[in-house]
Amino acid sequence: MVTKFSRRQFTGGILAGTTALAMPSLAFGARPRVAVIGGGAGGATAAKYIAKDSNGAIDVTLIEASKRYYTCFYSNLYLGGFRSYASIGHNYYGLSVNRGVNVVHEWATSVDTAAKVVNLGHGGQVSYDRLVLSPGISLKYDSLPGYSPEMHSRMPHAWTSGTQVQLLRSKVLNMKKGGTFVMVPPPNPYRCPPGPYERVSMIAHLLKERNPTAKIIILDPKPKFSKQGLFMAGWEKHYPGMIDWIDPDTHGGIKSINASSMEIETDLDTFKADAASVVPAQQAGSIAMAAGVTDGDWCPINPANMTAKADPNIYVLGDASVASSMPKSGFSANSQAKVAANHIRGELSGSRVYEARYANTCWSLVATDDGIKVGANYSAGPEKIDVVSKFVSQGDESADVRKATYQESIGWYEGITTDMFS
Amino acid sequence: MRTFWTFFFFATIFCSSHAKTDNLLDGADLGYGEYLSGECVTCHSKDGVDKGIPAINGLDAEVFASIMHAYKIGDMDHPVMMMVASRLDEEQIASLAVYFAAMPDAN
Ligand SMILES: Cc1cc2nc3c(=O)[nH]c(=O)nc-3n(C[C@H](O)[C@H](O)[C@H](O)COP(=O)(O)OP(=O)(O)OC[C@H]3O[C@@H](n4cnc5c(N)ncnc54)[C@H](O)[C@@H]3O)c2cc1C
Ligand code: HEC
Repeated sequence: MVTKFSRRQFTGGILAGTTALAMPSLAFGARPRVAVIGGGAGGATAAKYIAKDSNGAIDVTLIEASKRYYTCFYSNLYLGGFRSYASIGHNYYGLSVNRGVNVVHEWATSVDTAAKVVNLGHGGQVSYDRLVLSPGISLKYDSLPGYSPEMHSRMPHAWTSGTQVQLLRSKVLNMKKGGTFVMVPPPNPYRCPPGPYERVSMIAHLLKERNPTAKIIILDPKPKFSKQGLFMAGWEKHYPGMIDWIDPDTHGGIKSINASSMEIETDLDTFKADAASVVPAQQAGSIAMAAGVTDGDWCPINPANMTAKADPNIYVLGDASVASSMPKSGFSANSQAKVAANHIRGELSGSRVYEARYANTCWSLVATDDGIKVGANYSAGPEKIDVVSKFVSQGDESADVRKATYQESIGWYEGITTDMFS
Repeated sequence: MRTFWTFFFFATIFCSSHAKTDNLLDGADLGYGEYLSGECVTCHSKDGVDKGIPAINGLDAEVFASIMHAYKIGDMDHPVMMMVASRLDEEQIASLAVYFAAMPDAN
């Protein structure tokens, strides 16, 4: 049985020293209960907004496996040496102390949707009136021909939160002079469409400083990618001759990946890497499968409020959902969480429900002070989330604009992490 | 920068379209403003600090509304804010203006 004590603070400023159990007892049953699985961009935001805006009228339990959340956003900047690892880590203290969220650091293993109960790894249970799922992704290792567990340590994917990205950085720093780095991006759809190409930019930045004769090869399963023109122009400008992007028409498909020999075989050639990052195909986090709200790899949702098509008591946010034109990003997940939080409050406490409004912007850093961005805002159509308007950085922008774009991204990181965790 | 815009907007908008400023804050609804602000605070830190995106807490409500209208019609030109403002109507802008005016800034 999991017992979690937390201090509860109502926004009115009254401190009520109640203790809460992970399995709420019936004595507190009068308050509607929301369970949130996953304390990332979607889940932390949802837990905070429901607790904050309901002023304690709704009991919110956040189930998150890790005590510290290292953002995948900005992990590329850590790789490039622009941020420290510590600066991308966040804890849940603000949510529990300032917002009165019961934070339970446990792995959710299954959901009994009929009984409305979440089962936890150590045998505890959390019951709910509404459940929010924001578990992010799980990686489909079987998508990689020749997969072996060794790949994790020898060709780090660094596509989920945690120490993989530190491993990747040390591999790049330890490459032999003039060595080859191979990046294998994932096939669509995956979290953070510009992510692999920002990663390549940041690795090129590191190598340019420390190992300027090194080469980077991208073996892409996709014929095109996000902000392609902007990235490629940036590579030409800052790292001429260093980066080779090879599309599937040219390499003919990845036939096998051998982590012990560090060889990647394609129709075109067998590439021998001194360091590599191989990112598998992706699907919704496993708990979404266990809850039975997926159709194929992802969870279809109702655009007006992010409820799962399969269960009106379950909301699916972020990467795990099929949010049609919205990319799988931290910004998107944060935006979807606010729509869901507003709807959940309406359902459970009768507060006003406003129309769904979604937004996203993805910044990428190509080189020092050379930032680019793409963004859009969205509304709920009858079948899917539709684009209202969009923008993207231009190819002919001045260095000043690019620098301002990078600085904006620093402001955004501060903004979104404050929004999620305080 | 804030001081500059404050002055600039009072000067231009107030003089050029005086009739409009009278009702810039008509229809403001604080609760709606709070909901709409969710979109803004992903970028504009809720703590009112500026680490690369200007802080907007505690801005005078009329100045705030004038700035948003300026982005909306393209008088102020910044791709992100033009997109943000483009889908806000007058009542939504007014609601956001009164909401942010009431938020404490970092100083
Ligand atoms: C290299 C890289 C760069 C990126 N850059 C950007 C960027 O610049 N901007 C941007 O907006 N996005 C970026 N992203 C994407 C962003 O990180 C994700 O889209 C975002 O984190 C998705 O939020 P989420 O809530 O769906 O999942 P996550 O943030 O991954 O959160 C899921 C959480 O759920 C927990 N969890 C999962 N299952 C369980 C369970 N069963 N029990 C308990 N806990 C569980 C996990 O521990 C995790 O903390 C980037 C991603 C990568 C990989
Ligand atoms: C994607 C990030 C982003 C989002 C979302 C966003 N803004 Fe902005 N905002 C900016 C940036 C960047 C600037 C600076 C623009 C410039 O230099 O002209 C700015 C400027 C402003 C200003 C002018 C501040 C000043 O002192 O000059 C106001 C007011 C403002 N935003 C209000 C809002 C409101 C209201 C919302 C939500 C409806 C919002 N913003 C959403 C990024 C954002």
